[in-house]
Amino acid sequence: MEKAAKILVDTRKYPTETVRYAGYSLSGEAYVFLSPAGKKKILVELAPKALARGGAGGLRDKFLSELEDENGREAVLKANLELREFMLLKALSYQEKAPELKDSGLSHEQEKELDALIAQVESELKKESKKAYSRDPLGITRTWEERHDSKRAKSKSR
Amino acid sequence: MGGKMKKEAGVFFDARVYSPEAVKLAAAVFSGRLDISLKRTARGITATFGGAAERAAELGGAFANEALNQQCRMDLERKNSRLARIVLTKALLSATQRHAG
Amino acid sequence: MIQNAPKVKAGKQTLAAVPPHFYWQRLGGRVLLTNDAGCSSWLDEKDFRLLLKGGLKEGHPAFAGLAEGGFIRTRLDFNALALKNKRKEAHLQIGPGLHIFVTTLRCNHKCLYCQSGAISQASKGADMSWPTARRSVDFAFESPNRGITIEFQGGEPLLNWGTLEKTVRYARKKGRETGRELGLAVVSNFSLMTEEKAAFLIANEVSVCASLDGPEDLHNNNRKYAEGSSYKQTVKWLKYFRKKSDNQEGEKRVFRPSALLTVTRYSLGRHKEIIDEYAALGMDFIFIRPLAPIGYAKNLWGKIGYSASEFVRFYRDSLDYIFELNSKGTAIKEKMAVMMLKKIVRQDDPMFVDLRCPCGAGIGQLAYDHNGDIYTCDEGRMLAWEGDELFKAGNVFKSKYSEVMLSPAVKACAAASNLEMQPVCFRCVYKPFCGVCPVYNYEAQGSLWGSMPSNERCATLKGIFETVFLALRDKKKGAVLRSWVEK
Repeated sequence: MEKAAKILVDTRKYPTETVRYAGYSLSGEAYVFLSPAGKKKILVELAPKALARGGAGGLRDKFLSELEDENGREAVLKANLELREFMLLKALSYQEKAPELKDSGLSHEQEKELDALIAQVESELKKESKKAYSRDPLGITRTWEERHDSKRAKSKSR
Repeated sequence: MGGKMKKEAGVFFDARVYSPEAVKLAAAVFSGRLDISLKRTARGITATFGGAAERAAELGGAFANEALNQQCRMDLERKNSRLARIVLTKALLSATQRHAG
Repeated sequence: MIQNAPKVKAGKQTLAAVPPHFYWQRLGGRVLLTNDAGCSSWLDEKDFRLLLKGGLKEGHPAFAGLAEGGFIRTRLDFNALALKNKRKEAHLQIGPGLHIFVTTLRCNHKCLYCQSGAISQASKGADMSWPTARRSVDFAFESPNRGITIEFQGGEPLLNWGTLEKTVRYARKKGRETGRELGLAVVSNFSLMTEEKAAFLIANEVSVCASLDGPEDLHNNNRKYAEGSSYKQTVKWLKYFRKKSDNQEGEKRVFRPSALLTVTRYSLGRHKEIIDEYAALGMDFIFIRPLAPIGYAKNLWGKIGYSASEFVRFYRDSLDYIFELNSKGTAIKEKMAVMMLKKIVRQDDPMFVDLRCPCGAGIGQLAYDHNGDIYTCDEGRMLAWEGDELFKAGNVFKSKYSEVMLSPAVKACAAASNLEMQPVCFRCVYKPFCGVCPVYNYEAQGSLWGSMPSNERCATLKGIFETVFLALRDKKKGAVLRSWVEK
């Protein structure tokens, strides 16, 4: 198999894991072979698959670009491990607040004063309605006996 | 030297780049389709393929890609397994609760 | 200010300058950024490099937008981001909502791409019995999901009408007794539909769905029906149910019928005719679904299949034509785009079992075979029909609900589709909105995990996402897309 693209990567600049992923990302278009080349280098060999576009040059450029991007990703990942976990746990356990009642436009003190006023008015209304029941100028609430007993007493005495 | 095609249909995976476990997992993936034998040494593993010699190069490449796939999975697991387990546990836990009714 | 956040060690950069975790990809000359909460933003290359180095300061034109999207570390609104993430991933809080009842394997059609393992109409022993169906309903109701949807499939479910009818009645009764939200649906080719059956389905609020692959010649070529034109039956009953829905009276809901498109090689190049067919029928949606090499389609892939790039080209052309129709007043939407947009624009969960992390296999849906065997999904059931029971999770008579949920099949699918453990997905700009399919991976690549760089399903989805995101950037197209998901 012809390995069209061969790239020597310095693992002091790009750690082994980074090289692995960058190579792996091209495994859709190429067969990827990695091997150590000395103490601090990895040889990356890419053999394009039949349908690969761009040939060896294209593969090489993509690999180098991915290497840079992966370095960037690693830096972001390392800096955010704990923060990401915190945010995920927060999302999983997040309790949505109940919808708030509509604002009446009054302050708390004003609302208390209004409640007291309403209670006072209701109490006065109750008293008024009781008094209204005890006044009976037409004698409607009097029974027949109450109305006519006094007349009987007068006639008996004659 | 590792990750190289050998004269017979096979590939050598240097242990400094590919863990033995990754190569074994790749062999498991291909086991239904290909006759593979793995020979382990201190330096790494050689995978040889039985069957169609004319497809040896293509098979070796596909196998190498799979070994890299498994290795990258293991690399990610080292970095991210805690978060991954949280998501998985939550999903399974939510699904496992029976309805109260 | 970051409040209540964990303390993090400072590296070479000052901590406040390092952006929080995000994903990126170069697209259409700019850089697309996304994050776990489902927010997205665009930057040019120069500003992107500035952000990555921690040099994008307040006062920069892009700062406010990035801050609002959760891309600036010193401006993280934890509550807002948590809420967005939670809503977008609401499926993580609930169990399986979709329950697919395969009431018969028998069918009177021979569709080229059948993924249900359909057998001939005359076959014996391939129908779901009433006791099995009843037990399956009881099992489905054990799910903790407040909403249960039972979807009758086959084969052709109308071939086992007796069981279907009883199951609908029983499920409705159970729904009333338990106070659960119940959805019922039938996926049918409509060839055996009658007014009596339709009346029953309508009276019991059962929604109907059929495959419609395009104009008559295309539809019939894909879906062979020995007794006549499959197309004519499909269209006849789509119109019937549509009319009933438009003229509904009384308290019962009459749902609009829906249709599914399966794209085969024969569909390529004919997107306008297909979409016109849907538009002429007044369909609200067209669901442009790619074919998967599963079931009969696998054996005929050379004849009816296509590459991911071919499908994406078809999709792009279709979406452009749909935009054109929308601009002329024809209100038709593309279903896959709508589901993606719910996540991208609204950070909502469309509850689409195919595009979530972990995937819906088992924990989002269950498939009940005619004999009571339970599978992680219908595709998994198909594999069992072919002799591989890897995705079997239990049986309605022999297994407890918890045993099914914690079966090796369900756990394996959940693990394999966890994007946090997929090397490519973990880094992908579409990760917050995407999902993998372990059944597809297994069938196409030999393992549940698959390998995304050479995975055609991945390439297809990336192509669709790219199309949608680029369209969102376009003023006119973006306005149309946003209108599809406006509340």
